Amino acid sequence: MIRIAAAGDLHVGADSEGTLRPALMEIAEDADAFLLAGDLTKAGLEEEAHVLANEVEGIGVPMVAVLGNHDLHSDQADRVRGRLEDAGVVVLEGETHIVHLPGASLGVAGVRGFGGGFAGASATEFGEPEMKRFVRVTIDAASALRAGLDRLTTDVRVALLHYAPVRDTLHGEPPEIYPFLGSYLLAEAVDTAGCDLVLHGHAHRGTEWGITPGGVPVRNVAQPVIRRAFAVYTLDPEAAVARSGSSA
Amino acid sequence: MTDAPGPYREESLRQALATDPRVMEQELDVSIAGDRVVISGTVPTEDRRAAVTEVARERFPDLQVDNRTIVPTLPASGGEERVT
Ligand SMILES: [Fe+2]
Ligand SMILES: [Fe+2]
Repeated sequence: MIRIAAAGDLHVGADSEGTLRPALMEIAEDADAFLLAGDLTKAGLEEEAHVLANEVEGIGVPMVAVLGNHDLHSDQADRVRGRLEDAGVVVLEGETHIVHLPGASLGVAGVRGFGGGFAGASATEFGEPEMKRFVRVTIDAASALRAGLDRLTTDVRVALLHYAPVRDTLHGEPPEIYPFLGSYLLAEAVDTAGCDLVLHGHAHRGTEWGITPGGVPVRNVAQPVIRRAFAVYTLDPEAAVARSGSSA
Repeated sequence: MTDAPGPYREESLRQALATDPRVMEQELDVSIAGDRVVISGTVPTEDRRAAVTEVARERFPDLQVDNRTIVPTLPASGGEERVT
């Protein structure tokens, strides 16, 4: 079994020092890898990334992350990313990363994603340049996600996002803001390329459990939702291989 | 700055809580009834919980601030879910 620990929306600030490390020091007993679903910092400042780096450094499991909207707020995402990578966190934006574990390989395709909404009530690439740019960000993220998942030939494949791919995990949020919380295009990418699990954050008032229309489990791992430092999901590599074989 | 008129006051505080560097939480709920403003939702630290009260007091010095935000304690995992 592959054991994946996951959390999002840590919103680490200067005042977060020491708040996460005690729980994270136990993570290696529970999990084989730690995936971080964005909004790692409060304001996207390098010094906040530095605080987080100190919280996670040396916890004893491979770490893979995507950034969230908070991490982009101060226009220094490159420095945030750099600081996290110095601490051993692999930060993905359209790329993939493979974690080689003793019994199996875990592939992660990571994109931040963006909004736009869900089928029947979603934004279209039409009209004002600002509107078209908005929708284009999501379209580009979805195609990067699809391409990333297509490239992965690992035993288990996970899509790591910040924005939500389905409505299910938004339950609890005001429906008016769904278009700011995610896009069906991300689920379409997942269902087209196939994968074993989708992780996202961003929707603090949402719920943990959901599923794509194609049947892929979705988990909202925002800390205010899971109410733990991290959730742990176990996946059977044999089951994953069987499924990707049957859908091919 | 002139204060926003009645119906806009809740949203003006919600926007302030989302963007003020002391708080920066996008998902807090704000409601004003009579001379009381109630704020709820979750924030990650006690410092940010205190800042919620600060920002609300600065914006509405005449209102009583009822800060019902919570700082969740985050235990280590506590069980795993078998997905496949
Ligand atoms: Fe967040
Ligand atoms: Fe977010």
